[in-house]
Amino acid sequence: MSSPFAAVLASLTRQRGVRASLVVDENDGIVVDSNLQIGQDGDRVAALAASLYRKARLSAGAAHLGTATFMQLEAERGRICAAGRNDLVLVVVADPAANIGMIRVEMIKAAGGLP
Amino acid sequence: MADDVRRWSDELARDPASLVFLPLGETLRRQGQLDLALKIAVRGLERHSHNPDAHDLLARIAVDRGELQRAFDEWDMVLRLTPEHVGALKGMAFVRFQQGNSPDAEQYLQRAAERNGGGDAEVTAALANMRAAVRGARDAGRGPRENGAHSDSRTSPPAPRIPLSTSRALFADILGEHEQTALLLDDQGFVLAGIYVDGDGNDVGDEVGAELSGVTDAARRATRHLDIGEWKAIVLETEVAVVTMAPSTGDGLLVVAASKATPLGLVRRVLDRCLERARQWLEAGR
Repeated sequence: MSSPFAAVLASLTRQRGVRASLVVDENDGIVVDSNLQIGQDGDRVAALAASLYRKARLSAGAAHLGTATFMQLEAERGRICAAGRNDLVLVVVADPAANIGMIRVEMIKAAGGLP
Repeated sequence: MADDVRRWSDELARDPASLVFLPLGETLRRQGQLDLALKIAVRGLERHSHNPDAHDLLARIAVDRGELQRAFDEWDMVLRLTPEHVGALKGMAFVRFQQGNSPDAEQYLQRAAERNGGGDAEVTAALANMRAAVRGARDAGRGPRENGAHSDSRTSPPAPRIPLSTSRALFADILGEHEQTALLLDDQGFVLAGIYVDGDGNDVGDEVGAELSGVTDAARRATRHLDIGEWKAIVLETEVAVVTMAPSTGDGLLVVAASKATPLGLVRRVLDRCLERARQWLEAGR
């Protein structure tokens, strides 16, 4: 039986350069659902991305910058994107060459549909 | 005058980005409504953080409130934005004189006189009056205090290597007259350069820096465990702002924040330019 997030995750993973897409519980970093390419450690990605997003969200609030809507971490060999709603975070891990503009639009749209 | 205040207030309510906060704040200041004037000036400065007239207005209000150092800092910022601003030079001279630092006050007045080609009667008179006052003090055996308001070296802070204003305005010309701000933080999250003004007119760079620098620890941890190399930048979008962060020279952190309306690509370009400026500044020994 597929989860309510399966279609969204499949759509994100079809984007060029996307290695993994997950829905994660922000509080404990546990995977709610995921769509991973071979070799991706979903649990590790989920825990780290959720922690990073949570930290960014709380920091933005403390800095009076309002509620975080989207975060992107750019590294030498990859990118982590996250968009949250309530306690859930949509996470994407992508290659440096991925079309991040398109991924961002898809993620923000998809995050709006999270319960 | 009351009609003007009402008209400007209405216009500001309709368009919070309007520059009418300048005459409105000045009028309220002259009427002695300092708290209200301060509120208007600070709100205006939020949207026009690199407008020299806005800093000038805030400085004049600060003087009227007896906040001399705040006034000095604001005029210092004016001068960084508009080096020829005679009003700022006169204001800084006034503050320094009030603080007992006549040599500095004289220098500022001298600079103001030079900017005006000696044609400003007010500056000329102020310069003459101050020199007379200094002579009188010397004659009375009370020489002007050197290097600041304090004659007691135990309480005088050491001269900073860099003027506060230089570091605060380090990115001013890059940011321009836009709703953007930039902070350079050291590896402890302390502000090295830049400014961040909140809605109440306070420079909250320290707080913002401390909060945001914590994100970089999580970023390092994530990139290390996921084996995707060193992190290069973080873009954080919120309901009201776009914040970009990047590692700077010496384990520092550069933060550029802009209004939500600013295109992401533009913010990234500003970040890159600020990074280069920070690198040059740090390598030059500040």
